[in-house]
Formats: sequence, structure tokens, C-alpha cells
Amino acid sequence: MDIRLRHKICAAMMMGTSVMAMLVAGCYSNNCPVENMVTCNYGFYDSEGTPITYGDTITVTTLMPGYKTVYTYRKLGNATITKDAPDTALVNQGYTESVTQQRRDTVLLNKLCNASSMKVPMSFFHDRDTLILSYNMITLKDTIKVEHKSHPNVELPECGTYRFHTLMNVTTTEAAIDHIEISEPKVNYEGNTNVKIYFNGVIED
Amino acid sequence: MLNLSIQFRHIVSAVMMAGASVMAMRAQEQQTEPVMPGERPKPTKYVAVEEQKEHQVFFQGFTLSVDCYGPVAMMVSDYGTLEGALRLNLKNTFFPIIEAGVGKCDKEDFNTKVSYKASAPFARVGIDINMLKDKFQSNRLYLGARYGISMFKYDVAGPAQTDPIWGGSQPFSVKGLDCTSHWAELVFGVEVKIFRNFHMGWAIRYKREIASTKSDYAKPNCIPGYGYTTDSSCWGGTYSLIFDLNWGLKKSHKRGVNVDIRTIENGLQTTDNRQQTTDSAPTPENSQPTTIQENGTEERQEE
Repeated sequence: MDIRLRHKICAAMMMGTSVMAMLVAGCYSNNCPVENMVTCNYGFYDSEGTPITYGDTITVTTLMPGYKTVYTYRKLGNATITKDAPDTALVNQGYTESVTQQRRDTVLLNKLCNASSMKVPMSFFHDRDTLILSYNMITLKDTIKVEHKSHPNVELPECGTYRFHTLMNVTTTEAAIDHIEISEPKVNYEGNTNVKIYFNGVIED
Repeated sequence: MLNLSIQFRHIVSAVMMAGASVMAMRAQEQQTEPVMPGERPKPTKYVAVEEQKEHQVFFQGFTLSVDCYGPVAMMVSDYGTLEGALRLNLKNTFFPIIEAGVGKCDKEDFNTKVSYKASAPFARVGIDINMLKDKFQSNRLYLGARYGISMFKYDVAGPAQTDPIWGGSQPFSVKGLDCTSHWAELVFGVEVKIFRNFHMGWAIRYKREIASTKSDYAKPNCIPGYGYTTDSSCWGGTYSLIFDLNWGLKKSHKRGVNVDIRTIENGLQTTDNRQQTTDSAPTPENSQPTTIQENGTEERQEE
């Protein structure tokens, strides 16, 4: 074979080897999701299905497993005081102490206002989440019960593990909410609206 | 861990480059070996180029190849393959090929401690096309395409999942998730003759995932025979040791030319009659006849 040709091919082989090495050891990027927690997305609509920005302040509380001891102090002509621990000073001031057992709860969203949607985390290992929506302008509260199934999910090992959910059923009380429905049962980090909340009233043009 | 494996890869590629260079130099030495004092130069007989073209054999034999890069990658990184290929040679131009092997992926992320394991066979079918103008020489530069498939099971495990709000914890381990993956590849490669029927070559492959079975629990992070699925496409490569199997071929067909040996042995007369021999060509007796190919390279006809 022609020596020049052999040289060229030899050079091409070496170049190819180098290219392969660079390809293997080259840039590496992953497509990990931006959100580090999977949340259920609730969209706000008026009773006829028009997307709205809800003007009132909403606080979302959820019930937790187990009970807690609540100490309530009452005194005629004074506001009722609730504490998680006994307070002897109040008793000395003439307050009457009463001890009760209540479901544990925690605040998921605090004073959300002028929002058109909300993102609420879901429990990993429970089949039903109870969400209590408190409003600023309405004394009554709404309770949303979300039945779901959960399973672990790994997109990429370098992204870690997530918990995905599948919505089974959603029910609500009707203080400020007209009705509620599931729009996308699969809860993941894609950001789709999973539940539509239809509030009372119709937006005026 | 990632940096360490990259260093290993650089070392391995450097060793492979050195090996390729040494082998090419040895081949050159053989090619340019001087005639010893007292030794008579080997006689040469010539076969007309036109005659070669007319009698180009359609089926030129089989080629068996083994990938050397995959096993090294398996040893020094998280993913590697053991694979071989059987290739047909049609007119030294078209090379239908079947590749098969076993791919293994055993990976644990350093930060998240999530591990992924898969080990399964895979197969690819496709065709390579020799892009060199001179089809008769032993070296090839080719473009090709492949369709690949792998049916495999994979395991994913990680640290226990803990609910940050409601509390509770559960171990995370999912085993035996079924997946069938299909992908396509574009191949660009080079191969050179090293020694007799042995060739060596590299190929760069652009791979694109066509479809994979989805699981609720985990996406297949690594597909045997394809590689990592971090993106919808990826790059790969092979460094192959290739052996030409000329099964079922007549000896006179080995170079892809259907030349009757008897004609060559009596060739001087024949070619003289056709005025296709060179007057300066020596024709001593008791010597092996050698044909000159279209590109001018020499090849001794085996008796």
C-alpha cells in the first residue's frame, strides 16, 4: 500500500481515538427538575370556569397524624388564649385553664393573597390529605379532602428521588368554594394544574 | 469519582493510540522490507484494470469483529459492553452487519446515593458503506446506520424517603423493572489492515433513542448497547479488532476479483496477446505470480 496513504489512515485512526476519548470525557450535563419537591397545583376559577385571581387572603392548614394537647385559658371580659404548654402565670391572673386533645396540624401556605393558583405539598405515605382553607373576609373555613396514591420516582440518579402522586378523589365543603374537580390526576414536577377550585360567584366583565 | 474515571479514560485512549501507531509502523516496515543481497526480486504479472472491474465478485466474504473499547470502558467506568459483529462484504462497498453483545451498567451517584443496575443483551442491525473511491484496497472509510434494540430489567435503589411535613420514612428499592428500548445510530468509521486478515478500526456513533418503555418508578438511566439516557441522544464509539473470514470464496476471489488462476499462470501469453502487460515486467520461472490491483498495490496470489 502507498506509504502516504497508510500515514494518512494512521493519522486518521489516532485522531479518531482522540475524538472518542474527548467524547467520553467531554461535557456532561443533566436535566434535573428545578423544583426539589413535588406539589399538587390548584388553579382558581369562578363558578363558570373562568380563571381568576382570588382577592381574599387564603391560609392552608393540614391535619397531621396524631393528637396534641391544647391548653385554653378563658377569663370573663378577655379574649380566649390557646397555648401548647401550660402557663401558670395566666392561671395566677384569674384565667380558667381547660385541657383538650386536638389533631395535630401545620400551616402549608400562610396568607396567600391575590393568587390565581397555589402549590400544596402532598403526604408521602398517607392515602388522604385534609386541607383546611381559612379566609380573611369569610369566617367560615373550607375543608378539602384529597385521596391519592403515592410512589417513588427517579428521573436520573444524580437528581435524587422524588415522590409522585396519583389523585383518586377530591371533595370539599362549600363555604367559599362552589365546587372542585380533578383536571390532571398525575402529580409530578411538570407543573400542570391538577385540581381546579371553582369559587362562588362569577367574575364581572 | 467522575474525575477519576475521566483520567482513566484518557490513559486508556492514550494507550490505544500508541498501540495503533506501533502496529501501523510495523506494517510499514513489512511493506518496505528491502531485498536481501542475492535475493531476486519477486516477479510481477499484471492483470488489466478493465478485466478486474468486469469480474468484480458480488459476495466478498464475512468479517468477524470484536470491540476492544467496551470491555475497557466496563472496567474503568460505570458502563461498558462486550460485543462482537458479523458483517457481510458485498462488492467491497456494502457491508450489512449484525452486532450483538451484553451491556452492563452499575452506577451509584456520589451525592444522592441512588444506584442503578442493568445488565442485558442487545442487538443492532444495519449497513456500512465504504466511501473510498478505491474499493479494492484493504483500508476502508465508511458511513453506516444501525437500528438497535434491547430488552432488559433494571434495579433502582436509594436512601429511604422521608416525608418532611407529615413525617414517616420508607426504604426505596425497586427491582426488576421491565424495559424495551429501541434506538437508531449513525456510524462513521475507519479501518486499516494490520496483518494478513486482521484489521483494526474505530467508529464514532451518534445515537438517538426512538422509544423506551415507561415505568412509574424510574426512567431507564442507562440502556445496554445504547448508553446513558441523560439526553434524547448520545455519542458512543467502538475500537474494533476485525478478522476477515473468506469462507466459501475461491482463492482467486480473495481480493474481490474473479480472475482465473490458470489464466494468470499462463498470463504472460494471454496478456501479451491482449497487449495489456508491461514489457518491463520480469517473468522468471518457479515464482509466485502477483497481481497488481487497480490502485497499484501488490497482492500475492496464494497457491
